[in-house]
Amino acid sequence: MKNQQTRDILKKGLVFAIIIIFIMAIGFHEIAAALISRIFSVDVKRGSIPEVRFMMYFMGLFAFLTGWANSDKREGAFLKKSTHGLLVSVVAGIFVVLFDLILVFLVNNEIDIREYLTAFSLDSMNFFLFNKGQLGLLYHFAYFVIFGFSGSTLNVLLSSESAQNLKEKTGKLYNATKEKINSAMPPFLKKYGKYFFLLLLAAAAIILPRTWGSYVNFVVGLVGLYVIAGVGLNIIVGLSGQLVLGYAAFFAMGAYSVALLNAAEPHNIMLGFWPSVLIAILMAIVAGLLLGLPLMGLRGDYLAIVTLGFGEIIRILLKSDLLTGFTGGPRGIHDIQGPTLFGQPFNSDVEYVYIIFACIALTIFIYNRLQNSRTGRAWLSIKEDAIAAQATGVNLQKYKLLALCIGAAFAGLVGGISAARNQFTGPNDHSLLVSMNVLSLVIVGGVNSIPGIILGAFTLKGLPEILREVENYRQLAFGILLIVMMIIRPNGLWPSSRPLYEKYNCPEDGEKNVGKERKND
Amino acid sequence: MAEKEKSAQIKQRNLSKIIRPIFGALVAAYVLWRLYTVFIVEAKYGPQVWVSLLVSGLIIGAVYSLIAIGYTLVYGILLMINFAHGELMMVGTYAGYFVFEAAQAIKMPNATDPELVFANAYPVLTIFLAFIVGMGVAAAVGYFLEKIAYRPLRGAPRLIPLISAIGASYVLQNISLLLFSPQLRNYDNPEALSRGDGWKLIVNDLPVNIPYTGVFTLVLSVILMLILLYIVKNTRLGKSMRAVAMDKDTAALMGINVNQTISNTFIISGLLAGAAGVMWGLHNAQVYNTVGFIPGIKAFTAAVFGGIGNIGGAMIGGMVIGMIESIGPTALGISYQLKDVIAFAILISVLIFKPSGILGEVLAEEKV
Repeated sequence: MKNQQTRDILKKGLVFAIIIIFIMAIGFHEIAAALISRIFSVDVKRGSIPEVRFMMYFMGLFAFLTGWANSDKREGAFLKKSTHGLLVSVVAGIFVVLFDLILVFLVNNEIDIREYLTAFSLDSMNFFLFNKGQLGLLYHFAYFVIFGFSGSTLNVLLSSESAQNLKEKTGKLYNATKEKINSAMPPFLKKYGKYFFLLLLAAAAIILPRTWGSYVNFVVGLVGLYVIAGVGLNIIVGLSGQLVLGYAAFFAMGAYSVALLNAAEPHNIMLGFWPSVLIAILMAIVAGLLLGLPLMGLRGDYLAIVTLGFGEIIRILLKSDLLTGFTGGPRGIHDIQGPTLFGQPFNSDVEYVYIIFACIALTIFIYNRLQNSRTGRAWLSIKEDAIAAQATGVNLQKYKLLALCIGAAFAGLVGGISAARNQFTGPNDHSLLVSMNVLSLVIVGGVNSIPGIILGAFTLKGLPEILREVENYRQLAFGILLIVMMIIRPNGLWPSSRPLYEKYNCPEDGEKNVGKERKND
Repeated sequence: MAEKEKSAQIKQRNLSKIIRPIFGALVAAYVLWRLYTVFIVEAKYGPQVWVSLLVSGLIIGAVYSLIAIGYTLVYGILLMINFAHGELMMVGTYAGYFVFEAAQAIKMPNATDPELVFANAYPVLTIFLAFIVGMGVAAAVGYFLEKIAYRPLRGAPRLIPLISAIGASYVLQNISLLLFSPQLRNYDNPEALSRGDGWKLIVNDLPVNIPYTGVFTLVLSVILMLILLYIVKNTRLGKSMRAVAMDKDTAALMGINVNQTISNTFIISGLLAGAAGVMWGLHNAQVYNTVGFIPGIKAFTAAVFGGIGNIGGAMIGGMVIGMIESIGPTALGISYQLKDVIAFAILISVLIFKPSGILGEVLAEEKV
């Protein structure tokens, strides 16, 4: 028993030490300190190192979290519970000090190993040691002891019985107020509240972009485009349950259709934006059809890899010399003409935001109609169990293909709009990375959940635009998020309500079981 | 009503039945037309060109085979595509790179040569060390990869571990990007195995270069594959791996530690990927953070081509993919830029026409 506890403490301490050492090795400690300094409204110039006190805050915070995460919540004396976190924190501190010894050696002898490990510049290493040289060692250890203990103690205090009671009481109070407000609402508001809300939303969507700056509009437009793409991919991945990794290929279809029909080079057709967007959607559907027809019978994971291959083929072809005459090759297509409405050309981000908002509304409308239709139910049944769906008369191939084509159509739309908006499209705009971004935002936000997808698009595309410092760490965060979400919240940040509804409200169970989960599931 | 539905279904089946042959005929016609143009109409390449392409195809194919075995082993046991497997190769490549850098940095001056470095004084030891470190690091990463990213998801629907694997692949790529910077690095080979040097084979009175690094790669990978085959066929470890691949629950009832066996599988696939990585570095020189991605996809193609779950299939598939990729662009008379397109096109064609591969899948029936 004792032995196992010691091992547990050692293991956890090592894990937390590795995390902080790793943060240092990729240079994230500087970024974290810069972010903290922003909270205190101290600006840090790009490429320069923030003040030392912010690094101290960061280290304190990390040590606090170490203690917090490792406090032992099982039965036992109060002191025993909080010492567990303290011990883990101390172990982590010891390992960090060992790492510091190396850093001190490197700093004192002025050995710069940046050629091999980019983050280990002398300044950066010194910053990690609070600019205190050897003394940094002691500081680190002291931080881990003090903050580790306080974190652990606080967690134990909060999880104690009296705190639990308090939590329950506040929860009850919250529910009671919610119910009061609900019952106090006039009946007409209850009935038409939804429409009222929608009206409010529409008014906000019309008025707000006028008041935002151009940069905000740019970011909002970007997020909006990813929302449309996310909803489109969700039809394929979320509703019909097929993993498609080459979604960017359909973007490319849309973007190049609009670009080739609306740019002076290489063809000078100048068809105009609106008809070419329709052609873009059509082209994406055709691509989906051509890809889907021979492949629909494949196992899910094979389909994922094949679509990945398809996406790469499209990108390589666009980039190659073979099609340079037709598509502009690696340089892409410049000066794409934007849309005009009633003779008025679109040229600011505000106007594109309006187009994008309109498309989002259309997308969500179509999505909702589809989801609740016979088709949507067929898709869900395929996703849950393909064989059972087939046995009940769902034509697998037809519905899978339909999902792929509809998803592709949305991608074509997004590609077309973004080509006109950026006035440029090139092969690298349609790399695997784009497909992955869309996939991550759907999965992180919540499969089959529109608010989830909007949240995901904002978290993964909007947030990094606002926090420019973290840009280099964005892809790493995507990867970590994908793994973590799969393990702890496979349904996403804002899961859809449909599965719950089906679980709780089974019609055949009658009235008596409503609100109760079935035991035999 | 029923009649109508039935006829609609028949139409549907006919559609997919018609489309595959059309697609196949188109591909075959294109390939034949290109082959005809290049070999008979133009006929500008002598046999020495084909021999040298074949040699380089064999060499690269050996590397693909090693990676493909990793895919096949993991797919056979867990029925998941270890999307991060190419990244294990990348990790191995970096590890080997650092060993060679260290060996080049240690000076060992002696009487005849004051500039002698460790790598040239003990080339065999250096290369041995590089392989040990590369394989060891890749195996360790594979072990922890399974433990952190895949084990908590065991038993989940099949796409969920795949998404986690994609995430893991991203994480590994970006960690190495942030740690080692996006800079392209070159392997510093010991003099005994410097790139470009090789035996000259005379074909048609013209010399064909057979590089030492290539021969080394080929021989070593064949040795590694033989060792692997021995392990899988004849040892306790291999037996437990095969048992777990067949049926996890029954294997557990027979006293096999399933978790340990799966871990071992990842370690073995990591070892092979690491070795492939060091070979890649020795032969192709370049190291960068996405070095494993394209070889990973091609190796997966090879694994599917040979029949997933089938170790022999993966070996043959790797060699075939390597050779097609090497000879393909020249034989079809298309730009060398498009060699990746050929690999992807093979992948798609194999999955359309023969998803079970040339040697057949080896998977437990209930799982397919």
